[in-house]
Parts: sequence; structure tokens; C-alpha cells
Amino acid sequence: MRCDAAWLLLSRQAARVAVSELKVLLVDTEPERARILEAHLASAGATVTVRLRPGEQLPEAVAREAPDVIIVDMARPDRDWLDDIRRATHRDPRPVAMFVDVDDPAFMEAAIEAGVSSYTVVGTAMPDVKPVMRAAVAIFRRYRQVELELQRAESSLRERLLLDRAKSFLMKHRRMTEPEAHRWLRRQAMERSRRVADIAAELLRDAGEEEARKNA
Amino acid sequence: MPDQTAGGAVTMRLGLLRLTDAAPVALAATSGLFSEEGVTVALSVEPSWANVADKLAFGLLDGAVMLPPLALAMELGLRPAAARILVPMSLSLNGNSVVLKEELAAHVLQGGARPPALEAGRRLARLLRGERRRPRLAVVHAFSTHDLLLRYWLAASGIDPDEAIEMTVVPPADMPEALAAGRIDGFCAGAPWGAVAARNAAGRAVVLSSGIWRNHPEKCLAVRADWAERHPCALRAVLRALLRAGPACDDPARSASLAALLAEPGWVGVPADLVAASLTGGAGGDVDRSLFAAHAAAFPWRSHARWFAEQMARWRSLPAEAASRAERAYRPDLYAEAARDLGLPVPGADRKTEGGHDAPWSLTTDSAPLSMLPDVFCDGARFGS
Repeated sequence: MRCDAAWLLLSRQAARVAVSELKVLLVDTEPERARILEAHLASAGATVTVRLRPGEQLPEAVAREAPDVIIVDMARPDRDWLDDIRRATHRDPRPVAMFVDVDDPAFMEAAIEAGVSSYTVVGTAMPDVKPVMRAAVAIFRRYRQVELELQRAESSLRERLLLDRAKSFLMKHRRMTEPEAHRWLRRQAMERSRRVADIAAELLRDAGEEEARKNA
Repeated sequence: MPDQTAGGAVTMRLGLLRLTDAAPVALAATSGLFSEEGVTVALSVEPSWANVADKLAFGLLDGAVMLPPLALAMELGLRPAAARILVPMSLSLNGNSVVLKEELAAHVLQGGARPPALEAGRRLARLLRGERRRPRLAVVHAFSTHDLLLRYWLAASGIDPDEAIEMTVVPPADMPEALAAGRIDGFCAGAPWGAVAARNAAGRAVVLSSGIWRNHPEKCLAVRADWAERHPCALRAVLRALLRAGPACDDPARSASLAALLAEPGWVGVPADLVAASLTGGAGGDVDRSLFAAHAAAFPWRSHARWFAEQMARWRSLPAEAASRAERAYRPDLYAEAARDLGLPVPGADRKTEGGHDAPWSLTTDSAPLSMLPDVFCDGARFGS
């Protein structure tokens, strides 16, 4: 029994050490999406997330941070630099290889469709990497859904009126600029997994109730 | 499963990058050639070669305008996302430039006209002997025509690309800015990015890729093997449309309108005159010109596949039998079917001696002989003879 307990404790420690050592370089053209993913990974407590510095190139960031995992927005053209195992190895003794879940093509397809790709250091335990990648795919996918909803809302008159009213409310009462209001609505929709139009309706309803209370 | 639909109801999802040599695909799409041939093609303009390869590997694309070495790397399993790929046609010859930053270019060009490639390389080699720092040269992808041609030229000039050069990868559209900012000392990229760098006065072209290998293959059509097996009629229709688009892309009278089409923001999105410089008949521009159809330019020579595989093996480890597997991925038989549908001549052989022709020559076909262009290398080497 004692043996088992000690083993359990040790393996937990080992797991914690291994997990806490996982350093994720997050390279995303959408700062807001990156913030949400970073917050999500931090709350899971499993990783340290680092980002590119302003104006920094991808190779410099990889050399500086020596990350275990690199999560890359597929919209970035500099992803091609990561696409070469041999040269990355030559530059940096830590080998970088593309993380492809060969045993799970459906997951890879979902990742590509969501627009996210990842690279990992050879030898990084896959169980540690998997949850990070799953979180990234989920957040990228949700982001894309919200973008599509926003586009659809723009083209549907009723929803556009709702969005416009919600935005002007935010601009007037919360002193946001138009892009800030747009981002606020999008972020709420992403974080709460709700439709943008529903967020706008809810905002206006709450505001209306507050107004009614004040007037009462 | 045989293709029941004769292509009509089948859509090919075709990936491409913002480059001048996407011209045949752009023209076939915008002038309705695909639909005339009875096939629907959904184009997907991608930001990186890695995206094209991943989407092709996981079935989100059926085909792509591709770098032949990348298509072969996928087929040979050199890249983690491996996939069975076949190459039923080439799409262009020539079209790349080696651009060096101004201080290196000035030394290589010595105030005169551009010297032959080997002489330019030897001048660079002499200059580098006195340098402490290895120059950093960028190519567009690790598995690219650019990488293999640049390495071939450097090695032929007495410069070991693995020792004397720091090779890196930069997206083609970012090359001019990376050169101007001093992050790289030179690059090899396709049109129009060499011309853009020259216009920004960041550097000058010291060698054109046709000076390294005259009329070298550049882009190809890469297709998922399983898609090709499921939809043979649709594939044949796609090939016919591209074979019909090619001659228009070679036509000097159409270079202005073609450049205007490609210059649109959805395509290459740079000034039309810079795009035109790399098309036949386009004025100005110190860059290499692409060839799309004439002189059997679109024929997928198995000797091209072998050369690519042998050069890839020269610089990295490759599985045994890579060259013969690469040759098998090239499918001149599929080209022949589509060409015969259109009454176009089909070369009588699948291979030629690369580097064996230093002057125009005549090729035996199934109909009238075809006039061919030289295919010499800068160092006079011959392959496959």
C-alpha cells in the first residue's frame, strides 16, 4: 500500500512537472482569439504561453523561446518556415517536427478546417500536447463560427438592425469605438458560446430593463 | 469506382498561391474553360505552401498548383502529412530569379550586364572567401524548385550551400521586405517578387533560373491519387481546360490583359506592369519569363521527376528507390489522353536527356514533330543519358 501511495505521489509529481514544463508559442494574426486561447490554457494550468513580440519574426521567436509546442494560425504565410524539420534542427538543437495526429485524421481535418496548425518538439509526450491542440481547435472553430455569424447578420436586415442598435448602445453608454463594440460583441459570443445576435438582443433587453427600473 | 458523371457534377477543389505562374488556372477559371470542358473547379487561394500540402494531404483539396519537389516529398513521405499524389501535367517552365542585396549584387554584376550563371556564381564564391559571416539566402519552401536550383547553382560555382550559406525559408511575397530590412542577404523566388525587390531598390537579380537550367520545369498540377482514380473523366476535363489556357498565357498579344487579371487583389495583387514583366511579351523588368504551353512545356517528363528526386537525395536522405517512385508519380499517360482529345501532339517518349540539348531541337511525337527548346545546365552536366 505504502509503495502504491508513494508511486502515485511520484507519478503525480512527474505528471505535474512534465505538464508545467510545456511551453506553447502561440502565433496568431487575431490578437483577440489569441487572448482567449491563452486565458483558456492558463486556466487549465497546464502550460506557459508565449507570443511573438511586436515586429518579431517567427524564426527569432522560436530561437528565443525554444517552445515545446508551436500553435500557428494557418492564415500566416510564414508557416512555411516551420515546414522543414531539418533546417529547424540545424538552427536550434531542439528538433522541431510537425505534429500530425496520423492516427486521428478526422481531428487533423477539423484542425485544418478551423485554420490552425501545430508543430511540436520530438519527444514531447503526446498526452500533454493533445489537450492543448484540442483547446486550440475548439477556440479557432468557435471564432470562425462567430465570424460567419457576423457576416450573416450583416446581410440579414433584422439582425443587422439589432447589431447596429447594440453597437450604438455600447458606443454611447460604454464609450467604445465602433471596432471596440464589434469586438466586444464577438468576444461575448465566443466566450459564452452564444450567437452574436442573441448577445446583442440580450444586451438591449437588459439595457431596456435598467432604463425601466430607473424610470419607475 | 468509375466516374459515372462524365465530370459534369464533379467539383475539383484546386489550391494555388498568389504567383504569376498560376496564370493558366486563373485564365481557365475566369474565361469559363473549365465549365466548357464540363467540370466545376473551386479555386482556393492559400497563404502558404504548407497549407496547400496539408489540405491536399487531408482531403480538403483535390488538387493544387504545386512545386514539384513538394508534391514528390508528399508522395515519398518526406513530410509528415504524406499522401498519394500524382502529377498529370506540368504548368510552367522558368520564371524564378536569384536576387542579392545591392552590395553583393554590385560585386557580382561589376557594373556590367548580367554574366552567365556560372561566372556570376564564381564571382560570388570569390567574394564569400573573404567574408566572416555566412550570407543568409531565402527560398520559398524547403521542398521547392527554388531550393534545388539555387543549391545546384551554388554547388556548381564552388559554394557549398550547407556550409557556406545559411539557407532559410521566407514567403515569396515577404522576400522584398525581408531583403530591404536586412533579415536576408538574397533570395530565390518566382515572379513577380524579384521585380518588386528591384523596384524597391533592395537588390538586383544576378541570375535567372533559366540561366541555371534552361527551360526548367517550375510548377506542376498535383492531384490526390484517390481523387484521380474516382474521377478520371473530371480530371481529363481539367487537363483539357488547362491545356487550352496555356497557349493564351504564352501569347505576347495577351500579356497586358492577362497581367491586368492577375494584378487584381484576389490574385497576385501587385502592379500589373510587374506581373507583365514575367510574361512573354511583357515589357521591361529584369526577371525570368514563364513559358506555359509551347514546346511541350506542359508535358510531365519523367526525366524531370527523376532530376528533382536525385537533387533532393543530394541534399537530404531519401528512401531507397525514391527516383523511380518519383518517376511513377508523373503520369504522361494521363496528359496524353487529354492532349489527344484536343488533337494536340503527344511526345513519343516519357523521358529526355536533361541537359542534352544546347540548341533548339525537334521532338518526335505521334503526329508532326514538335520544336523543342534547349535544356542545358549552367555547368554543362547531362542527366539520364
